[in-house]
Amino acid sequence: MSRVRKDPRAERVARTLSETGRRPRLDLGRREAGPASGRPRRDPWREWAASLAGESDTGNGRKRYDRSQRQMNRVEAAHFARTRDGLDAVDVSPGQPALRVIDEPAFLVFAVVAAAGGRLSRFDRQVLGGARLLADAGEGGGAVVAIAAESIEGLGEAGADRLVVMPRASTQRERAEVLKAAVDALSPRHVLFAEEGDSADCARRLSVALGEPLFPDVEHLTARQAVRAIRNAGAEIGLAPPRLMTLGEDRARPYEDVPCEAREIEGGGEIASPDPAILSVEIIPGDPAKLALSETDFVVSAGNGVSDFGAFRDLAAAMKGTPGASRVVCDAGLMPRQAQVGASGTVLAADCYLALGISGAPQHLQGIAGCEHVIAVNTDLHAAMIERAGLAIVQDAQLVMPALLNLLKEREA
Amino acid sequence: MKTIVLLSEAKNPVSGRQQPSRLEAQAIGLAAGLDEAPQGLHAGSSEEGVAAGLGHGLGGLDVVETPAGDDPLPALSAFLRRAFAGDAPPALILCGRRGEGGLETGLVPYLLAEMLGLPILADAVAIRPGEAPETLVVDQAMAKGARRRITVRLPAIVTVHPLAPPPLPFAFGRMRRGEVRRHPAPAADAPAAGTLAGERPHRARPKLMRTAGTASGGANLHVGPEPEEAARLILAYLEDNGIRRYGPA
Repeated sequence: MSRVRKDPRAERVARTLSETGRRPRLDLGRREAGPASGRPRRDPWREWAASLAGESDTGNGRKRYDRSQRQMNRVEAAHFARTRDGLDAVDVSPGQPALRVIDEPAFLVFAVVAAAGGRLSRFDRQVLGGARLLADAGEGGGAVVAIAAESIEGLGEAGADRLVVMPRASTQRERAEVLKAAVDALSPRHVLFAEEGDSADCARRLSVALGEPLFPDVEHLTARQAVRAIRNAGAEIGLAPPRLMTLGEDRARPYEDVPCEAREIEGGGEIASPDPAILSVEIIPGDPAKLALSETDFVVSAGNGVSDFGAFRDLAAAMKGTPGASRVVCDAGLMPRQAQVGASGTVLAADCYLALGISGAPQHLQGIAGCEHVIAVNTDLHAAMIERAGLAIVQDAQLVMPALLNLLKEREA
Repeated sequence: MKTIVLLSEAKNPVSGRQQPSRLEAQAIGLAAGLDEAPQGLHAGSSEEGVAAGLGHGLGGLDVVETPAGDDPLPALSAFLRRAFAGDAPPALILCGRRGEGGLETGLVPYLLAEMLGLPILADAVAIRPGEAPETLVVDQAMAKGARRRITVRLPAIVTVHPLAPPPLPFAFGRMRRGEVRRHPAPAADAPAAGTLAGERPHRARPKLMRTAGTASGGANLHVGPEPEEAARLILAYLEDNGIRRYGPA
């Protein structure tokens, strides 16, 4: 690590306003260039102001803070700017444009996103974040190209400059062929995959088709090196980031900065010929009622505020969610132990969590830490689950459940 | 149908003793449903760990004795070419997602498929013979509990997913009775490299913390709404975020 050496005299000259008087006049508060380390300086006052989520509705002027301790991104900053007049969105990240545009990229970095169900998952965002890191490496100027089967919402916020929409392939072999055509056409510097499911499969097919080595399951990715474990995690190997890589889950930070443009470009190849060895392909969707909690994407969960468990099970089935429960409910024998969510139950990987009558003990919140969206229905305004939730409803869960069931029946009719 | 299971040199992460890889033991379990005596195939210097595969249900084990640290691919492909040219060619080759104990790239099945000209399917959780002869129905695990059911023409290579049924119980007597056939390795083109460039002792690195998702804004807190209004809000939130769709509003 070599740091740029500080030149105090040059800094003093840069800050000098006038030297006409007896003493030179300096502007000591001026801060044009960022610090030498390149990391932006934190402003705790601004962060604190930005985390103010609103005043309490009870009218006593009690402030509500979002204490999830995350760095604000621009979407949230805009959200808080709307709820709080005194704070401008630009205040959170001053001097930055609203959209990041790279017109003439010096090189390209491919990020292959699975986006099951047309939504970016956590892992997809991490792959895009890793690609963004590689595109901004060195002197920067690279562009991230998201490779997806369709246009997906939120690609720009996740850090994609360009988007190549691939034709829908029924088999993995066809998918790899189309991707190889795109790699030949656009010749990216890096191609980044997720080490999971179809992406991992596609990475290996592409590696064999191109005759290039693959650097799988990267544990540590920086602009200078990519590191992965080998020999039963007894050794590791670190190289300058190679061309084909797959990224392990939770290994790269998602991009949270100025949105990129995610402009669609041409580049996807055509599907040449169907695979003669594959006779039929059929997709069987998972049944949420029978899925394990660790595998599902939507959990409907009951806590101490729920007493009618028949209605709760009907509701979980009608909402196409997997039923879960808090420890209290499982201890009472009202739900099976496999349904318990939390530190001593299952730690979820779901996208969305609907908490009915759950106050949110710390052990329970640990179990839902990975959930992107949380909806809480609880009678206590000051419950931890209400604070954690993206949609918080202060109401009795026993009253909301039949209303939800009725509404779902109306929708189906 | 004749089935071969590829085995690798897994080690216990704590004791360092050789042991069968769990995924390969699951592959043996899947193979035992198709073939009464599935055969194991291993290329390496020691059979201490892989011999336990016999106790998990293998009918026999072929070990190609390559020097430690050598690339197993030429030995495996030469053995399989001979097997396909023989009078009882294998119909199916099963393996884990990636071999353990070596470079662990997971490329070996794909390179074998390329060399032998076979189709390859990844992440199988269930396999059974197809209705037509010489076909196989493979259920692949996908995200969110979905399955992809593929009918493939044999011979083929299939890799196994951790959600496949658990391995058959280990039986010591079956391991002792099992036959281990040793084969000399084909002449290597290049001597094995002891360590790779850039190799060093492993350092465990922390994963990213799974922090909270969307923050609650003042606009998203609703105190004491009517239950019908609350239900409408919940469904609208689910549909806006693309979690579920519930028919026309």
